[in-house]
Amino acid sequence: MGIISVEQTVRLLWLGRYTERVYTTLRLYYSSYDTMIDEGKNEGENAYARFCQMIDIPDIYGSKEVFKEKYPFDEENPDSIFSNLNRAYDNAIMLREEIGSEALSYIQLAIYAMNKAKISRAPFIELQRVMDNILAFWGIADDNIDSEQTRNIIKTGKRIERLDLYARLGVGRKELYREICRLEPRVARSGIRYDAEKIKYMKELVEKPEIDYYKVVHEAETIL
Amino acid sequence: MYNYELLEHTDTVNELLARYGVKFGIYKNNTFKEQLFPFDAIPRIIEKQEFAGLEAGLKQRVQALNLFLRDIYSDKKIVKDGVVPEDFIFASSGYMAECEGVIPPKEVCSHISGIDLVQGKDRQWYVLEDNLRVPSGASYPMIAREMCRRSSPSTFENTLLEDNRNYAQLLRRTMDYVNTGGHTVILTPGRYNAAYFEHSYLAEKTGAHLVSGAELKVKEDKLYYVGYDGRLERIGAVYRRISDEYLDTMNFNPESVIGIPHIYDVFRKGNVALINAPGNGVADDKGIYYFVPKMIRYYLDEEPILQNAPTYLPFYKKDMQYVRENFDRLVLKDVAEAGGYGVVFGEKMSKGQKEEFIRLLKREPRRFIAQEVIDFLDIDILDGKQTVPRKADLRAFVLMADEPLVWKSGLTRFSRNPDSFIVNSSQGGGFKDTWVLSQ
Repeated sequence: MGIISVEQTVRLLWLGRYTERVYTTLRLYYSSYDTMIDEGKNEGENAYARFCQMIDIPDIYGSKEVFKEKYPFDEENPDSIFSNLNRAYDNAIMLREEIGSEALSYIQLAIYAMNKAKISRAPFIELQRVMDNILAFWGIADDNIDSEQTRNIIKTGKRIERLDLYARLGVGRKELYREICRLEPRVARSGIRYDAEKIKYMKELVEKPEIDYYKVVHEAETIL
Repeated sequence: MYNYELLEHTDTVNELLARYGVKFGIYKNNTFKEQLFPFDAIPRIIEKQEFAGLEAGLKQRVQALNLFLRDIYSDKKIVKDGVVPEDFIFASSGYMAECEGVIPPKEVCSHISGIDLVQGKDRQWYVLEDNLRVPSGASYPMIAREMCRRSSPSTFENTLLEDNRNYAQLLRRTMDYVNTGGHTVILTPGRYNAAYFEHSYLAEKTGAHLVSGAELKVKEDKLYYVGYDGRLERIGAVYRRISDEYLDTMNFNPESVIGIPHIYDVFRKGNVALINAPGNGVADDKGIYYFVPKMIRYYLDEEPILQNAPTYLPFYKKDMQYVRENFDRLVLKDVAEAGGYGVVFGEKMSKGQKEEFIRLLKREPRRFIAQEVIDFLDIDILDGKQTVPRKADLRAFVLMADEPLVWKSGLTRFSRNPDSFIVNSSQGGGFKDTWVLSQ
């Protein structure tokens, strides 16, 4: 079929967003976890609370021990990495005929790896597998999905999410600018209606001496 | 006995099936859960000649059932001629008055029929049930074969058997045959349906678009797929995996949130094929099952090739008498139930329960059928490194395209419980591939 429905578009877009969210928050979790190892050696450090603040999620954990366990694995917590992976799966499972069983299988494998990590005594090894499977998913999506529009919608979701997260995290000007530039041609090729002025405006925001990160988040969130 | 290298790779096959999400959904305590469908690598093997007999019988049966459906919703000759009592038509929950006078494209009513069979210890095959509404299960042996071939190529190099991965082509041919012009879609109620894996897998393999009701729209007596930008593309065939009553809020259940308003009007005007046609439930009612051999004689003037399990209708005085006298050796089935539910074995009831049940039979004789308990031929399954015998059935698939097509395979379901005859996946059963030998 030459056209794609609203429902299908939304699923593809959110598949891209959720897989990116899992990938980037996992990377961030790794680095925060590493900081937490040394925590307590210097007074006043609270890496997990800073993490929550950075990615704009409520600090419902109370301690780094609870955070380390609940943030990645608690499926009841809508902010957890596992919940985001489940949402990626919810969208992917509705798209088997669009993305193919091979691509879908990597999301399924990521779920299995996450379940293993949850009960593992060395969860990082399994979490690495979650990340590997997300990367494999992107690889196969790029390679195997015939429809250019389908690929572009998934990638538009991915780019919006990365821009959104990077802006929340306050990454450097260069990185943020690069993500805006990567989003621009992708969204243009996706066939989805978008506000081109917002791309221009985000670039201007990033070029200012003081970046207003919240405005960048807002523009990224409302570009479609 | 089982000299197949494949059996050493059972775990690998199951891992691959898990990887590809080969699951079914069940609701327990109002909670939806997805479960893997346990696969047993010992295949059910059917010799070429034996399958040829089954194939002829299955074609005959499905042709007669299609003729019955056409007749029931038009002239009702079979009722007028006293072959099937009208009580079994109009009182059936599957009968739909809305289908009266409606002729489906190419006059095919049951495009995909799932016929459940068991093999007795005498090697005789018996039909246990006809499924003419939305029969599911073909995707499981189809993908299992793919994974088995990957896990143990040598097994397949050394065995001459029919390739069952052609089911998607047979299905596509069936859908294309009745297509009235436009795209073909598979309509799913969504991922929380028990057979959602199958919907999505068959969409992928047939190249049909998988859609939900919200993506389709009726305009000027035609059905369309609605694009993101409002563009419309015509749909000519819908392989719907939604029950009749939820298909169209304007013609059937007004509370359905998964259907498409007026889709049935488009069908009625011959502008779209609905696969299978609405109203088929009247022919796969467990009560009607009793009459299928009579239908074959009536419509085709042939003797039935496949046997029914010996069945009694308490509706008939003589049969009621027999049921009462032989209660302990019979299995009783509620005609309105499916999926292994509503099945009770006479011998397992207490005295009080029997008396209560017989009172119920007298009050509602149309509601139940009684069958002799067939002494199934057990088939072996792997239990660790051992093999153990278990009860199993076979769901064979017949597709009605320009000619009836019997899929040279089938879903073999088995009970994992040694004391149970119930093989349904929803009740803990597993499945096997069905090999039809090509030489």
